[in-house]
Amino acid sequence: MTTEGFISLFCKETGEDPVNIFERGRQAGWLEVQDEVFRQDPITRKNVARILHMYLLKVKNIQDLDIKDAEVLRDLYDCRVCANHIAQMYLHGVMDAKDLMEGGRFLWFDLDGEDSDEVNKDHIRRLLSIR
Amino acid sequence: MDRPSPIEDKDLRHDSFSRSDHRTKRLPAMGWNSWNAFGSGNTEELTRTMVGKILELGLDKLGYEYIVLDDGCYMPVRIEGRLAADDVKFPSGFGKLSDFIHANGLKFGMYNDIGTKLCSGIEVGICGHEKEDCEDYVKWGIDFIKVDNCYYPWDNATFADTENARFTFAPNIKSIEIDGITHEAKDAIITGTRAEVKDGYVTFIGTYDGTAPDRTPVGLQSSELIWEILSDKDKTSEFNVTYATGREEGIGEWLQAAVNDEVFFDGLLPATESPEEFVISDTISIRLHKGTNRIRLMNHRRQENTLQSYTRIRQELDKAGGSNITMSICEWGKTQPQDWGHKVGDSWRILNDIKFQVGSDGTPGKASWNDDYTLSITSQYNKAVIMDEFSGLTKGWNDPDMMVIGMNGIDDTMSRSHMAMWCMLNAPLMLGLDLRKVSKGDAVHNIISDEDLIALNQDPLGIQAKRIFTTIECEEPDKEYIRDIRRIDVLAKPLANGDLALAFFNLDKETRADDPKISIELILDKIGSKMVNRDLFANASGFDIRDLYTKETVRTTDRIFSAGPLGPCDSKIIRITPAS
Repeated sequence: MTTEGFISLFCKETGEDPVNIFERGRQAGWLEVQDEVFRQDPITRKNVARILHMYLLKVKNIQDLDIKDAEVLRDLYDCRVCANHIAQMYLHGVMDAKDLMEGGRFLWFDLDGEDSDEVNKDHIRRLLSIR
Repeated sequence: MDRPSPIEDKDLRHDSFSRSDHRTKRLPAMGWNSWNAFGSGNTEELTRTMVGKILELGLDKLGYEYIVLDDGCYMPVRIEGRLAADDVKFPSGFGKLSDFIHANGLKFGMYNDIGTKLCSGIEVGICGHEKEDCEDYVKWGIDFIKVDNCYYPWDNATFADTENARFTFAPNIKSIEIDGITHEAKDAIITGTRAEVKDGYVTFIGTYDGTAPDRTPVGLQSSELIWEILSDKDKTSEFNVTYATGREEGIGEWLQAAVNDEVFFDGLLPATESPEEFVISDTISIRLHKGTNRIRLMNHRRQENTLQSYTRIRQELDKAGGSNITMSICEWGKTQPQDWGHKVGDSWRILNDIKFQVGSDGTPGKASWNDDYTLSITSQYNKAVIMDEFSGLTKGWNDPDMMVIGMNGIDDTMSRSHMAMWCMLNAPLMLGLDLRKVSKGDAVHNIISDEDLIALNQDPLGIQAKRIFTTIECEEPDKEYIRDIRRIDVLAKPLANGDLALAFFNLDKETRADDPKISIELILDKIGSKMVNRDLFANASGFDIRDLYTKETVRTTDRIFSAGPLGPCDSKIIRITPAS
């Protein structure tokens, strides 16, 4: 799924007006300029996490949880600039980690992985359920 | 380019690192950086507001002068080959913002990265664009640049290809052959603590990765493999090496080889099937001298490549007219920058970040007092406190990262100790909070504007405090890397007017009753050689003791100093003046 496809899906699920959504999202602080410039690129899980987290902060005004509780994710600190986005989406139950060993012994967020359209739709729906 | 450039300048070689040729003699930088407060969400409007707050709070008068835009301010690609401001966040552009900052009597700082991308992933890393980017930075009137290390093509840095380790480690070495005589690696001299013998070969010839807090910075953090070969005359000899390559931390493909200090090979060897399938290299001629020759196999490219990359930026800034620009090296301690940072920069980060839960407009972010990784005040302090011998006016400063005062998770006591630590350690004092939440006279303002503490940091003698005692048993408190926070540390810092600052830090999150008694004799023994007038202290009939927190001064004839029990994360800082 491309970033543009994800944003279209996001608008459909959330009811956001898709007209000029990139510009308005950037003005509101939940989209970045690279989302607009590279809108045709496949969207990675770390970028989904960033967009959804910033939407939660900027639009839904939901405060962050303590990142410490996400340290079970083995790859959390592989990305200095997106660690908090990933942590918040995991802790709020919006995005799941992959359990590479049984019993949660090796939880892997898979920062650079890509999700299917259905999984991304599920992420958005979970986000919208947060109160 | 598929590999690092040759190193033509001997000043960039590992063998020259001990030469101190720092160009400027600046005290630690002071200012505000956008990252902790706003992450990638900083904007021109927020930055202008912070400028106003710096002035309103009188912080400019205390030395806070740099306003630094961190990651998240650029367009994600160069426009006609040039860096450009994010047109939504910074609609006036960098030049106009720079003018505004300068018009308010402050200085302007920006951010880039020695890799191909910035840490945020946008493709405007300075690698390969040093000339044009530095021209633009000078055109925009920057006074300060922080340069990160993500996506670096010549090491396995953050977001870079992990196989880049092939450039920064030598292959596994089984033996060398000189004029037909085999010399086993397992019998050679191994320097440093990095390399080791394994199954008859030597592995891990390279430099320790210092990003995480698990390695001391003190002592030799890289290894070489050395044979001492006796020659009865000056002669040309045939040389080859039996090796096996890998592309992982500890096993690479890049070999440096030298006779004494003359490098005769510096490049990639052909890859082998696996790190344990050895082959014999092509034979090359080397020059041996009459007497003992030290044949050195090594790989210092982790340090040399990184230094070379920072040097390119430094040189292009200089050429463009920006020789006064302060450079903040931010490679997170990965390549042991305390060894080489003095050649090119004004400070160098010593570890990965102090926090990852950064703030955004309206949310302060969260930091910690202690943490198993680098993400806390004490994680950074524990390493910086044993690095005093690397810093100084003629070298530069250890940088334990921007301050986290004002973030959630840090109370007033922690904040005060944090400020005092950074001041005693001569760390750059970069505020990282949303200054809109600070008012004149409130607790945070009192801490960040404490003139007595700032005076320690900016003392013109420029000597980082030395840890002279700790309540945890150890033989060398100034050198041993201690990560257990259940302790009180005592640091001593000589000052330019002949005074001495003495700090007692309770690292523990519990009250500690142990009450270290520090004698004048201990102080003189540990740091007397760095004091302006050692004898004045040794022979003083009494001392004026100023408590820098209570601001009270008392005179004493006592030659023993103590703090009394210290509460959780608390500290006591005194300034001692010998009575005349």
